[in-house]
Amino acid sequence: MKYSYFPGCNLKTNAKEYEHTAVEVSKILDAELVEMPVFNCCGTVHSMVSDNTMRRVAPVRILSRSEEHQKELEDTKNTVVTLCSMCSSTLKVVNEEVKEDEEMLQKINWQLERDNLKYSGHSEVKHYLEILRDEVGFEEIIKKVKKQLKGMKIASYYGCMLLHPDKAKIDDSETPTVMESLTLALGGEVVDWPYFKTCCGSYHVVDKEDIVNNQVLKITEGAKKRGANAIITACPLCAYNLDSQQVFLQKKGVIKETIPVFYFTQLMAIALGIKLKNFEDHHVDPKPLLKSLGLI
Amino acid sequence: MAKAISMREKKEELDTVTIYIMGQGYKVPSSLTIMKAMEYAGFKLKRGVGCRAGFCGACATVYRKLGDYKIYANLACQTKVEDGMYLTQLPFVPANKAEYNLDEIKPSISTMLRFYPEIARCLSCNACSRVCPQDIQVMDYVQYSLQGQIDKAAELAFDCIQCGLCAIRCPAEIPQYHVATLARRLHGRYHMIAPDTLEQRVKEIEEGKYEKGFEELMSLSEEELKKRYVARDFIDQKKA
Repeated sequence: MKYSYFPGCNLKTNAKEYEHTAVEVSKILDAELVEMPVFNCCGTVHSMVSDNTMRRVAPVRILSRSEEHQKELEDTKNTVVTLCSMCSSTLKVVNEEVKEDEEMLQKINWQLERDNLKYSGHSEVKHYLEILRDEVGFEEIIKKVKKQLKGMKIASYYGCMLLHPDKAKIDDSETPTVMESLTLALGGEVVDWPYFKTCCGSYHVVDKEDIVNNQVLKITEGAKKRGANAIITACPLCAYNLDSQQVFLQKKGVIKETIPVFYFTQLMAIALGIKLKNFEDHHVDPKPLLKSLGLI
Repeated sequence: MAKAISMREKKEELDTVTIYIMGQGYKVPSSLTIMKAMEYAGFKLKRGVGCRAGFCGACATVYRKLGDYKIYANLACQTKVEDGMYLTQLPFVPANKAEYNLDEIKPSISTMLRFYPEIARCLSCNACSRVCPQDIQVMDYVQYSLQGQIDKAAELAFDCIQCGLCAIRCPAEIPQYHVATLARRLHGRYHMIAPDTLEQRVKEIEEGKYEKGFEELMSLSEEELKKRYVARDFIDQKKA
């Protein structure tokens, strides 16, 4: 099975290892992510104004471009797959909106008409975690595991965009289990903790770092207190905030110990026996932990 | 005989079209380009005209056709007149151009955003690509810049002649063609390998290898220069 994969901007800049490991893992699981030939920005954060059609052109353009891409792929589904949870949320919400509002879809299609594009309204947007859970299945993943993640005590951090709003959630908003199930499938230990969707501070990292630092302190200390030695996430912005601000807090003397932050696909890659390229994207060095557990 | 004249008149009528330059109608021969038609109509072009060969990007023209809602744009020197064209020239486009020292910046998304933060306002409407007389996928190279894929942005924007039409159409007010220049410069400076022959030649120039030859040429009379030009010898590529 092949999926039309929409990367978005972060996967090409700050989260290259997320993309690399996801694509490699997808090949082993026969749920291959094939990148769309051309793609634009998802629009980052869907418009809350119901009649702002212009802000919805970008996500609908992606949906229509993906439909073109799906025609080229053999053995595929009418699905656009994302890795970034922000892209996932924006695309899912807009997809539902234009499915419900034919008039809006028509207006947007008039904008796409001269580029020979038209969105039918028949595609589904899926986060890769959903593909793993609903289409590959954890049983299948367990079969492919070569090296169990023995000794990894993993706190699954969902952030906001995977669970909100209702139109975009990939799991139950209050008791999500997809990343925990994945952790178990890979042979890791699940850490139960209350901060799985406490806001990371998001874009405030640009102008109000204090807000982000407070959030990151709460989240990472919370994970450590409950015995976690790693945090996994699916969002490049969450990963950046949790990772980089820990180093900042450590330098300031606020915290002594740091906890490494991984993308879930990185741990999948380790468990499925794929050699990781590098840890360039990381701020907190994850190598000491992985070495001590004999995982690299 | 009378019939022949009327045929000729009719033919002339067929071969002329009416165009409107800034609202004023003119009958011009249908075989002309917009630029030549403007001169035919009596305009003396000082700005908004350059190479007359579709390379310099100075003669951007915006027009509508009678009864057609669409707005069109093209180069005046490359487009034939059509009946009912409403034309205006766009000799210059105001667009901020960033200043930078290429040796002090890196080919990354943060560089693109530092000098042209407005690229983050792109709505993906693609109005820029549709207006481009060079058929460049302008929106896609803006998006590549936003994705930090500087190499792809530079290659996609290679044919840009900087007419500025994209910048005028953009609802996000991005000066796309300056963004493209930055991408190409970064690509050239950091990704491409400089050819040995170029480096060799630059070194020779710096060492003054050609000074003597130039001095000699500069001292020649116009007559002598012409004579030398006609008698010039091309380098035999095989021997060289």
